[in-house]
Amino acid sequence: MSAPPTERVKPSPAGDEDLTRLRNADARRGRLVRGVMLAVALVYVSVLLLAPLAGIFIYALKSGLGTIGQTFSQPDVRHAFLLTFVIMAITVVVTTFFGVIVALVLARDRFPGKRLVSALVDLPLAVSPVVVGLMAVLLFGRGGWFEPFFASRGIQIMFALPAMILVTIFISIPFVIREVVPVLQELGMEEEQAAWTLGASRLQTFIRVTLRNIRWGLLYGIALSAARAIGEVGAVLIVSGTLTGKTETATLYILRAFDQYQDQQGYIVALTLATFSIVLLIGIETFKRRRTAEAD
Amino acid sequence: MPRWFKRRILAAPLVLSLIGLAACSSSSASGAAGCSSSSPAASPVVTLAAYSNPYLAYGKLISTWQSEWKDAHDGQLVQFLTSFGGSTTQAQSIINGLQADIYASSTAPDVQLVQDAGLITNDWQNAPEGSTVQSGSVVFAVRPGNPKHIESWNDLTQPGLQILTPDPAQSGGARWNIVAAYGAAMRGEVPGYAKNNPADAQRLLEGIFKNVTVMDKSANDSLKNFEAGNGDVAITYDYQVATSQAAGGEEELVEPPSTVQIRTPTVVVDKNAEAHCVEDITNEFVKYLHSKEAQDIFASTAYTRPIDTAQAAKATDTLPAVKDLFTTDDIGGWDALVNDTVFGPNGAFTLAFQSAQG
Amino acid sequence: MAAVVAIEQDAKRPEGRARPPSGAALRRWSLRGATFVYLGLFILLPVVAILQHGFGDGLANLKAALDTFGAKAAIRLTLEMAALTAIINGIFGTLLAYVLVRIRFPGRDLLSTVVDLPFAVPTLVAGVMLVALYGPSSTVGGWFEAHGIHIIFAPLGILLALLFVTLPLVVRSVQPVLLELDPAEEEAARVLGAGRWTTFRRVMFPALRPAIAAGCLLAFARSLGEFGAIVIVSGNRVNDTLTAPVFISQLLQPGHYGSTGGPDPAAAVSAVLFGLAFVLVLVTEKLVSLGKERS
Repeated sequence: MSAPPTERVKPSPAGDEDLTRLRNADARRGRLVRGVMLAVALVYVSVLLLAPLAGIFIYALKSGLGTIGQTFSQPDVRHAFLLTFVIMAITVVVTTFFGVIVALVLARDRFPGKRLVSALVDLPLAVSPVVVGLMAVLLFGRGGWFEPFFASRGIQIMFALPAMILVTIFISIPFVIREVVPVLQELGMEEEQAAWTLGASRLQTFIRVTLRNIRWGLLYGIALSAARAIGEVGAVLIVSGTLTGKTETATLYILRAFDQYQDQQGYIVALTLATFSIVLLIGIETFKRRRTAEAD
Repeated sequence: MPRWFKRRILAAPLVLSLIGLAACSSSSASGAAGCSSSSPAASPVVTLAAYSNPYLAYGKLISTWQSEWKDAHDGQLVQFLTSFGGSTTQAQSIINGLQADIYASSTAPDVQLVQDAGLITNDWQNAPEGSTVQSGSVVFAVRPGNPKHIESWNDLTQPGLQILTPDPAQSGGARWNIVAAYGAAMRGEVPGYAKNNPADAQRLLEGIFKNVTVMDKSANDSLKNFEAGNGDVAITYDYQVATSQAAGGEEELVEPPSTVQIRTPTVVVDKNAEAHCVEDITNEFVKYLHSKEAQDIFASTAYTRPIDTAQAAKATDTLPAVKDLFTTDDIGGWDALVNDTVFGPNGAFTLAFQSAQG
Repeated sequence: MAAVVAIEQDAKRPEGRARPPSGAALRRWSLRGATFVYLGLFILLPVVAILQHGFGDGLANLKAALDTFGAKAAIRLTLEMAALTAIINGIFGTLLAYVLVRIRFPGRDLLSTVVDLPFAVPTLVAGVMLVALYGPSSTVGGWFEAHGIHIIFAPLGILLALLFVTLPLVVRSVQPVLLELDPAEEEAARVLGAGRWTTFRRVMFPALRPAIAAGCLLAFARSLGEFGAIVIVSGNRVNDTLTAPVFISQLLQPGHYGSTGGPDPAAAVSAVLFGLAFVLVLVTEKLVSLGKERS
């Protein structure tokens, strides 16, 4: 390369010729380097992410449509999917409802200890699902803090649906909040204030202005939350008791299928979850693009 | 009060009651307070928590028994909920509140755990056959052709060997394995280890556990791990190996000359069965497990041996004969083994494990 | 009518800012109340339960847990795997972010979507996928086994599972910052004769450093707790493939290798584990916000 750099200067119009020459010579090397980078990136992604996905497609479909039909006709498989769906639905409703409230508070309110609250929201991301199961055992298992309260009323929390829902909620709490807070912060309160000035009620403003403005971030958070809820396995493994046909989710079914030499069924159910996740993923991507597009 | 406020605070209890409803629905399924003596055609639900291995057998036993019961009881269909996992894990879950009415354990000590928690009140130890429903022996699963020439317990101590055995804290099967090695040594059936010599038994266990590389959470997991290509030998149940071979597994079974008879008890969890008003049904089912028909199903589906020790030592269609088949009673009984000689604070395994690890 | 009165009242306020209709304090406190109750019940309470059980008797439980067979090995393995994952994905994640931001090629959107795959796929399914591909009975896996490379039930399998799960964390951490970088600075450096690598090192990297660090820390923290993917691909082999979360699930059993077992030792180890991860997540947040302030 030619001119030795003595100080950093902005290129001036007079240096345009040099610039062009350098750029041309550079462009070729540049393309090569970029090509290599792109190739490496593509190979890494293919090997790490795509290949396993292809593997599961192949394995699940290897058995033929007959086995697939047979798997879905099994009552325990159907129940597992139903259970997964129910848990996901309740989790999403709870984490969305309260998540928006918490997001509003975090983005707009000011009080001592707000930092702590914000940190608390991030906590579930750091906790291993196994530990979440342990938390549930400590609270609701025999000898747990709340066990006498529920036991005396004949309400079954542990090894039943409620415990499974509670642990899934714990794990899913951060997603909606983390996605909505930055959106709220960027938006500020101008539009709401304008609405109030025009005489809109609080509820009207909330629905028509706030919710509308955060919708893509909110949907993104909901999609992440749903995906997480569907995929939960560590915590529910501990708290569910894995009663087939009663407390066995789709993920727990997969574990059992591989345990009991039913690999084919395991792959098929895993593939179903993967497919659903991918559809969810495309939804996430769409929401994300809309959110970033609107933020600009 | 502004409408938004009312809506907001109303929604919260709505959500909470959703959860409450879910709780109630699950609790009402598991039993109402007060049982009526005549439950007309209501579909009672029995929950079975079992150790990891016999899922096929219990599947068949349940469906067979269900239809027999239905015919004999006016069309009443008894529903079964089943859960399979490590025997000790299941025991712990039951203690923690899993509403199991029947516990199919792989070891008596695990049943003892549940009994100590006050959930079992029947005298299962003095029931017919000590409540044992399945029998087998502890064997070695090896690679085709037995490349490491494993024949007996002392062969497991050869340096560089990789052994798989489950985690004794979660799997009953693991403890059978340890007790088998201990017993064989104590009975003087292992070359190089003196009879009735606890120190020698400890030495054998230490040699074995120096070579143990994986401790899975259940006997089932352990064998699956072996089949996936890990290790040179897995210590496991003979009928577990037979099940795996029937499913296409390629491992070979090596029957040690001296080994313990695995006796797995299945017991009614009285407190839960009473709470769910299914004691009669569960008692009948457990009694059924000892019938010839059930034993035949166990033998054909789970490849287990006959319960009687002398019979069990003979070869079956799928399993070889055992030269010296002993029971835990022959080496002191489970109580002594668990609290003293093997798993106690100064037990052979406890000490062996600590020094093998160190 | 009331709205008009309210507006007139608002207009008379010295700040001149529009205030919401009446009941502000009540509203604020009910929102706060809901927040405190929600987070308190769902997050604070379980955490306190773990801390109380784990450290209620001082450090005895932690010591008992760490003395258990496999404890130190499990923790060491977990930390090693997490660190390796953070470093490898730190490099490749940054590379991917660069490719996605700075290079135009057909299928860029598709690549972006694929990178997010681990966010959507259940971790257990990720493990199953790895077993399907690299298990000894598959063609690919069989080839590796034949050449003495153990993937499933071996540390390499665990690493692959963790890399899978954490890749988007790094990419999505670096990407936004890269987007905001002005290429003009780099061009200036290039014009002045700086080589490609020097440009990266002196111009881009310092600006990206907080974001890359944040991504790596997140990947590390995530790896500490991963269970679903690992429970399938690892063989729980002590010193080799037994990780801390799986180990904790074992600790819950009674009579674990002579210890009293039960939840307390498990609680102690769990608290340490998630305490560490939590600190990392907080540091990450700080780094991200610092990065935002700088730009």
